[in-house]
Amino acid sequence: MNGIFFLLPIAILLGLVFLVLFIVAARSGQFDDMDDPPERMLRD
Amino acid sequence: MEGAQDEFCCHGCELAWTIIHGAGLQRYYDERTSFAPRPQPARFSWEAVPVQTAPDGTANAKLMIDGLRCASCVWVTERVLERMPGVCDATVSYATGRTTLRWDPNRVNLPALAGTISSLGYRPRLLGEESSPDRELLPRVGVATFAAMNIMLVSVSLYAGWFSSMEPRFVVLLQWASLALATPVALWAADPFYKGAWGGLKNGVLHMDVPIAIAIVVLYVHGFVATLTHRDAYLDSLAMLVALLLAGRMLESRGRRRAAEAATALAATAPATARRRTEGGVETIATAELRVGDLVDVGSGQEVPADGELVEGGALVMRSMVTGEATPVAAGPGDKLLAGSLVEDGAVTLRVEQTGADTMLGRMASDVRAAADRGIGVTSADRMAPWFTAATLTIAIATFLWWWMAEGVGQGIITSVAVLVVACPCALALARPLGAVAGLGAAARRGLMVRSADPLLSMANIDLAALDKTGTVTEGALEVVDACNEAIRIASGLERYSVHPAATAILSEANRRRIPISRATNVSEVAGEGISGLVDDRRWKLRRGDAGSVQLESDEGEIHTIRMGDTLRADTPAAIRSLEALGVEVVLLSGDHVEVANGIANAAGITRVFAEFDPQQKRRWIHERRSEGRKVLFAGDGLNDGPGIAEADVGIAMGTGAASSVLVADGVIAGGSLKALLAGIRAARACHHTIRVNEIRSIVYNVTAVAAAVLGFVNPLVAAVLMPLSSGVVIWSASRIESRVAQAEAA
Repeated sequence: MNGIFFLLPIAILLGLVFLVLFIVAARSGQFDDMDDPPERMLRD
Repeated sequence: MEGAQDEFCCHGCELAWTIIHGAGLQRYYDERTSFAPRPQPARFSWEAVPVQTAPDGTANAKLMIDGLRCASCVWVTERVLERMPGVCDATVSYATGRTTLRWDPNRVNLPALAGTISSLGYRPRLLGEESSPDRELLPRVGVATFAAMNIMLVSVSLYAGWFSSMEPRFVVLLQWASLALATPVALWAADPFYKGAWGGLKNGVLHMDVPIAIAIVVLYVHGFVATLTHRDAYLDSLAMLVALLLAGRMLESRGRRRAAEAATALAATAPATARRRTEGGVETIATAELRVGDLVDVGSGQEVPADGELVEGGALVMRSMVTGEATPVAAGPGDKLLAGSLVEDGAVTLRVEQTGADTMLGRMASDVRAAADRGIGVTSADRMAPWFTAATLTIAIATFLWWWMAEGVGQGIITSVAVLVVACPCALALARPLGAVAGLGAAARRGLMVRSADPLLSMANIDLAALDKTGTVTEGALEVVDACNEAIRIASGLERYSVHPAATAILSEANRRRIPISRATNVSEVAGEGISGLVDDRRWKLRRGDAGSVQLESDEGEIHTIRMGDTLRADTPAAIRSLEALGVEVVLLSGDHVEVANGIANAAGITRVFAEFDPQQKRRWIHERRSEGRKVLFAGDGLNDGPGIAEADVGIAMGTGAASSVLVADGVIAGGSLKALLAGIRAARACHHTIRVNEIRSIVYNVTAVAAAVLGFVNPLVAAVLMPLSSGVVIWSASRIESRVAQAEAA
């Protein structure tokens, strides 16, 4: 049971890594337009 | 790149590569020294914004306001602006954030007005700038959801630990983990609520953000202290509340942004360039540069850039995008052409009579914009918020004072914290978004995608459904209605290489009836007139007849008529009967000829028909019914339905329709069946009912819980158990909306 003392923080840290990646993506405008890009190449 | 191995991630990239190389443009990549510059958003100061001055000396300007979260934000902004000295009026559109300001330039200026808007917690910007509100909300939703999920995991272990006596050191670890996860939620993710509440408080307005912000702060502070003192903190409900509220807010702001884009999309349907006749030849210019009186060439397959008179040539013109007529019309010299209509075959020259915003298409775009600017009503939860907050705060303070007098400061703090915690309007704030999500889901599973909660809820009260004909009640494609096999056989040969819709219809009919296509020779096609050719050594001529029919004539005088028309969708009559059974009157609004519209209406079982309505007439008709107090739903598919869809209380577009009508609509029918409307109304009624009941429930809960807390029967621990319970009841009853809709369908 003592494993939980380091496993829990590790699990949360792992999750945090992905959360940070998500925030970076959202900040850089990755999710600004969810509809247009797939159609854009067809329009050009 | 040159020299690299040719490998592509997808066909699209390969195609792009082929096009670039085919056009000999690859040298661009060899010669460039850096990546192409992207246009940078210009920094600007409010002093530089152009201000128009009216003859009476007032100045006016239009701007956009970002960050409007609810109808009461609009109300707050308008009120605060109008209370400023020198401001004549301020109107803010909830749907688009578009704001019109009129003020006395001697007493106040635009930078000051913009400053006031900023101080309320909203972001003013110049009309036409790029907007991306999601960039701000999305990371907050991410953080709150991440924290909520993890705290839930931790909390489940904690709850389980109660019953199986967990070692204290594990309890402490889990509590600290909860606190660590909840801290960014309370300090950062919940920021929009603090800003909203602060902005409101500074200006003396209490809206829904105020009780939410107070609840978050009290919950967090309580949780913090509880963790230090090893008591139960219940930070899970804090994170869950913030995550749900933020997600709801983000979905709403997306919906509103789409509506705003729709008007722009509509204006963009006119082609961007036009070919203008000059003395020496033809030049290609931007459509915006066209002037009245210019001569413009439009070829086969191209769209007409401006309204005008045809002076040369002839063609079949498809006007369905603008007027709603399903069949192409033959146009010759002297006929009027409308911007946005498509020249099917043939080539014409027209003299420009109206350009840009003056064209029929341009007027439609401005109608759409005006309707989207109209805004919506304030919801019941928003109306209750000021009373709710004021009452809670007063009671909490009174409780504190009373218990302080009676039993000292310690008891006073504990009791008043209990009051604030049980008074958290979580259940009240969740009633609407959760009910709406369940209702939206129930409608979506039955083929009706509704944009957001407000239009879905207004569907509950609809008592008049106006339907467009082409593509909505009918399939929208031209089909052969009546013709003998021989006529189809001969016509299919003549039409074999033709592209216009009548030819497509005849060929698919030949295919359906398994008629072999005849061999036609010496085929000649005169644009706008017809096709002639030799079939079985006889000369046949195919001409357009009246009302969507085609005449087939031989030189010997033999005549066949092929009747064409738009066929009714198979389940339309049943859907209309059910709509009327729900107490909704059904009306047909069509741009087509009276006989055609009446024929379709008869077959569909609609008694009231309005034919030969142009887009403006449809919009006006809907407007008149609305001003009579009717709640109007309008369903249409074409570009020409845009104004009607925007004007109606609930505007529904067919998923197969023009992109702009889809963009401007409150909802979209995915499967092409009008039965989806029925499902939408049922879901809306179930949703409406559930939200009402939940709002009443949460108020009853809050009143009783607060009363108990005031009397000291509730300590912070019990309060923290009760709160998730009330939210749980709301979630449970929202989840029953689906089965209510299913029951209504079966009945």
